[in-house]
Amino acid sequence: MRDEREPYNVNIFRPKKGYMTGEVAIIFAVLLGWAMANFGFQGVLRLLAESPDGEGIFTRLTFLAFPWHFWFTGQFLPLWFIILCVLFNIYIDRHTEKHSHRRDRTHD
Amino acid sequence: MTDAGFNLIPLMIVAATLASFIVAGLRARSQGMSDYGLGGRYIGRIGGGAAIASNWMSAASFLGMGGLLYLQGYYALAYVIGWTGGYVLLLVLMAGQIRRFGKYTAPDFVGDRYASPAARLISAGISIMISIIYCTAQFKGIGMIFAWLFGTDYRNGVILGACVVVGYVIISGVLGVARNQQLQYTVLIVSFILPLMALAYKLGYFWALPQFGYGVAIQDLKREFGINFAAPFASGTLFQWVALCFTLMVGTAGLPHVLSRFYVVPNIRDARWSLVWGLFFIALIYWSAPAYAVFAKLLEARAGTVPSADAAARMADIVVIKTAVMGGLPPWMIGILAAGATSAAFFTVAGLLISGAASLSHDIYYRLINPRASETTKMALAKGAVVALAGVVLLIALNPPGLIAEITAVAFALAGNTIFPAFLLGIWWGRANRHGVIAGMLTGVVITFAAPLFGSFLPAVAGILPLTSSALFGAPLVIGVMVVVSLLTPPPPEEMRRFLSEQVHGHME
Repeated sequence: MRDEREPYNVNIFRPKKGYMTGEVAIIFAVLLGWAMANFGFQGVLRLLAESPDGEGIFTRLTFLAFPWHFWFTGQFLPLWFIILCVLFNIYIDRHTEKHSHRRDRTHD
Repeated sequence: MTDAGFNLIPLMIVAATLASFIVAGLRARSQGMSDYGLGGRYIGRIGGGAAIASNWMSAASFLGMGGLLYLQGYYALAYVIGWTGGYVLLLVLMAGQIRRFGKYTAPDFVGDRYASPAARLISAGISIMISIIYCTAQFKGIGMIFAWLFGTDYRNGVILGACVVVGYVIISGVLGVARNQQLQYTVLIVSFILPLMALAYKLGYFWALPQFGYGVAIQDLKREFGINFAAPFASGTLFQWVALCFTLMVGTAGLPHVLSRFYVVPNIRDARWSLVWGLFFIALIYWSAPAYAVFAKLLEARAGTVPSADAAARMADIVVIKTAVMGGLPPWMIGILAAGATSAAFFTVAGLLISGAASLSHDIYYRLINPRASETTKMALAKGAVVALAGVVLLIALNPPGLIAEITAVAFALAGNTIFPAFLLGIWWGRANRHGVIAGMLTGVVITFAAPLFGSFLPAVAGILPLTSSALFGAPLVIGVMVVVSLLTPPPPEEMRRFLSEQVHGHME
């Protein structure tokens, strides 16, 4: 797979063919979900704000008796981060098993 | 402090808790068990998660976060998000690769990866600075709790607290107390949640899961007293929120004592899953902290004792305990809460002082000044360094520069502007070299302290790079400096590029 005369130089934007390509794809997918849910939501909250304090549709709606935005940021986002980490681990575990030539799992 | 006076029962509970950790640690040692460091018995993924969470919990989580939420409402959720979201970065970008790189500390990693004693020295200096700043916040928390326990002022409290914590570190070290992080986490979580359940019960809210049942209290606060706890941008702009949150995230993924959990793990798959459990255990506390702040506001408003802004800022860092007092909880339960906060601060101080002192004696003295130093000399130096570092921290903590969580945030900004880029490019870009990392880390230090350094004559700098939130622009800027300087100078040694390609990223071939 690799050109022997020109050794590969590690670069996250030009991953090695094989295991690293899939690994980097999983990493970027998780980072996208991480950034959008967190920074993206705060941006939307600002865009839809009707007052300088940020009052708007999200502050009027409620969920589990919380103002919706407060529930989303204070309670759902930490849960979302846990979900992202679980997904990352599941995909990396599968990816590792798929590429493993060693059946004794020494790659762990 | 309004309720001056000696709080005997809480004081006895705090003392008993700290003593019981020593007894438990000695018993564990005499039975030959140790889950600390290399060669420990297998503790499983959940046990590993509890260790990660207890390593993480400090006075900033236990006291500081509740205090800032009390003062700033929704805005302070940036701390909740920053300190949980950072673990995502740590897991996906660093954990596995650091393990495969196989170095033991941040200075070891930087020194070896970039083949440069100068880079090692700079990263050791930065790690020690981070430890000092982080400990300052812990000392403030310890000082406020001791002042409350003994009914004295903050100054006496922090001096007394500093003596006790240094004594505790030394006694634990002399006796060789094994550290049981699972026990520590159990004490922390119980001492944080139990009083909160009692408060929710007394106030008439859903008490079985108080961290998810305080929504009605936010609404009551607004309806009855016109206090809008949840206003999104009342205490800061969108930019300030995002800058703070991002800084805390990259700082989490760059803090030496957090990274060090991944250098030496027997099995990387277990370590990755432990991190998920650790994040869950951390979230259990972070879901709860806002409830303390909301209950504090409610109790104050109902008693008609809303303090002035100044008074509120002075007591914010101990508001978690004040809430329990205002809510009329029994003294033994307040004692449990105070014991949890004291333990969190004590164990953080112990870890940071010991690693800071080890770095001084190993990375700086042994590596640079006297390579022929004996183990005895190094040990003696490290012991002296613990006391010296604690002295420096006490001097700063006598006049604390801000709230606990704010002081901690500066340590995160420094880590995010220096260690994080050094690790990120060190792992993911083979071309990064020693010139790049040295220029980058020095730039990062200047950026972190740009607001106090240049803010007085360049106000824009303080706006773009606030002291607690400088990494939103700082970290990308440092990465840019590292890339440009690396490309303008010769590539790193061929062996290192090969090692990265074949060992760190080629383990499946």
